[in-house]
Amino acid sequence: MIRFFNVTKTYPGGQLALDDVSFHVPRGEFAFLTGPSGAGKTTLLKLIFREEAPSTGQIVVNGRNVSSIPARKIPFLRRTIGVVFQDFRLIPRKTVLENVTFLPRVLGMDREHQRRLAHDALSRVGLGSRLSAFPLQLSGGEQQRVAIARALINQPELVLADEPTGNLDPDLSREILRLFLEINGRGTTVLLATHDRDTIHRVGGRVLMLEGGRVAGDELISGTEPRPELEARAVEHGSAATPPVTEAEEGGQSGSCAQAPRPAEEVP
Amino acid sequence: MTLGKAFGFFLREASINLWRSWRVSLLAVLTIAVSLFVGGAFLLASGNLEELVARWRREWKVVVYLQPGVAPPVLTSLEEKVRGTPWVRGIRRVDEAEARDRFRKTFPSLADLVDEGREQMLPASLEVAVAADAGRAEDYQRWVASLGEIPGVALVDDDRDWLAQLATAVSVARALGLGLGLVLLAGAVFTIASVVRLTAYLYHDEIAIMRLVGATEFFIRGPFYAEGLLQGLLGGCLAGGGLFAAWQLLQPRVASSAWGELLLSRFLSPAEIAGLVVLGAGAGLAGAIASLRREKLGATE
Repeated sequence: MIRFFNVTKTYPGGQLALDDVSFHVPRGEFAFLTGPSGAGKTTLLKLIFREEAPSTGQIVVNGRNVSSIPARKIPFLRRTIGVVFQDFRLIPRKTVLENVTFLPRVLGMDREHQRRLAHDALSRVGLGSRLSAFPLQLSGGEQQRVAIARALINQPELVLADEPTGNLDPDLSREILRLFLEINGRGTTVLLATHDRDTIHRVGGRVLMLEGGRVAGDELISGTEPRPELEARAVEHGSAATPPVTEAEEGGQSGSCAQAPRPAEEVP
Repeated sequence: MTLGKAFGFFLREASINLWRSWRVSLLAVLTIAVSLFVGGAFLLASGNLEELVARWRREWKVVVYLQPGVAPPVLTSLEEKVRGTPWVRGIRRVDEAEARDRFRKTFPSLADLVDEGREQMLPASLEVAVAADAGRAEDYQRWVASLGEIPGVALVDDDRDWLAQLATAVSVARALGLGLGLVLLAGAVFTIASVVRLTAYLYHDEIAIMRLVGATEFFIRGPFYAEGLLQGLLGGCLAGGGLFAAWQLLQPRVASSAWGELLLSRFLSPAEIAGLVVLGAGAGLAGAIASLRREKLGATE
């Protein structure tokens, strides 16, 4: 789903954000992206949905080389990716329904279809009855759930989350994290950036560690909390703690963890 | 999304933008309304003047003023001489009493001057209607000059001279009005551009979110272009309405005076009003496009 090939990102002024980063997140995987502040987590996510372009290297998202994608096609890439931020990024003057249905509106869907999609997405995050509320009338946790519903409305194959629990108390954080696990349980690839090591150790799974703009670690850890959705899928696919990835989906490669990066020449 | 749905969305968002920042929007609308009102007022006045000049051209005449006490046989002989010319379409005698009546009607505030018995100031005359193409005849000028040499004639006044001057004055006034209107319109475009840019900054975060969820450039900029268009449209309608109200107010009061006839005898045509409104809308749209041309809306860096 996501492949980075020797990606370096230098901001204007010479600030090095990412240095020769290579990794692979297969389709359907739940992966944490962690590291201290300034390690390059947000930059890495921005590169995936092309808010930023890499200085060198190649990035392939869902079979599409986003490093060289023309500017006019970026909106179409973003419609296939759900993005959730720490600060929710909701439009305060619009209702929950309007916030969530923005993309269907852009796509020209009729109102009834928009409403149905919004209701489905909001029901998935437990807010099916708050369609006409405004963001500021909601708690932080509810606002983040609206943001997640917005990210899910187009049923993206990939969801990116940048410190989604950073503004929430521990109980709400757990609730939001549970939502991401459920989303992943339905087959959506999730890449979640966080510097909260407790959360990572509680949930477990694939962990990509960034330090000083480089990949300092890529490991699979066991969590302390049960993950029923993973267990169910593991039983279904006959393996433990490994998300279902087919060879066909990932170009002949299987497995999800700590794969050696492919050389840049192999970029489609 | 179809174009129709997109425009519907743009107009809805633009209306919300206008409503949310109604003070600056009102400023922009009023600025464009004032500039179009001024331009429209010049158009109205010059249009009426041009129509009058055209009418006078159709009624072109040479007035032969007579010396006091011209004997009737002399007058008859004079009429015969004039009538024998190919471009003369008709002759009308205007005696001193009729001249005084005309003066009173045309200049009511100056009526006392003729009532004081100074009859010499308004002599009898012969009004000679001349064919419209007479001015092109080679010997026309000579003919006009020769009229002045006929015994009993005090002065010959050819409309062509002052009509040409009036037409020039109308053209100058129209050019001045156009220039002033354009300067004001440029100011209005600048104001609209500033308001639209301000709105774009106000909505920076929202635009960033729109980008994030995959809105195209067309979809992001559309509401701002629609906002400029709406401001211009409202300004144009306001200017048109204001002109009509002012004309309704002034026309009956000045209708009987020379100024009324000169400047306000008819209102702008529907096509001219539509032109003003379209000009306003175009100026608004141009202001919005110009203001956002170099802006990368919603960019995080």
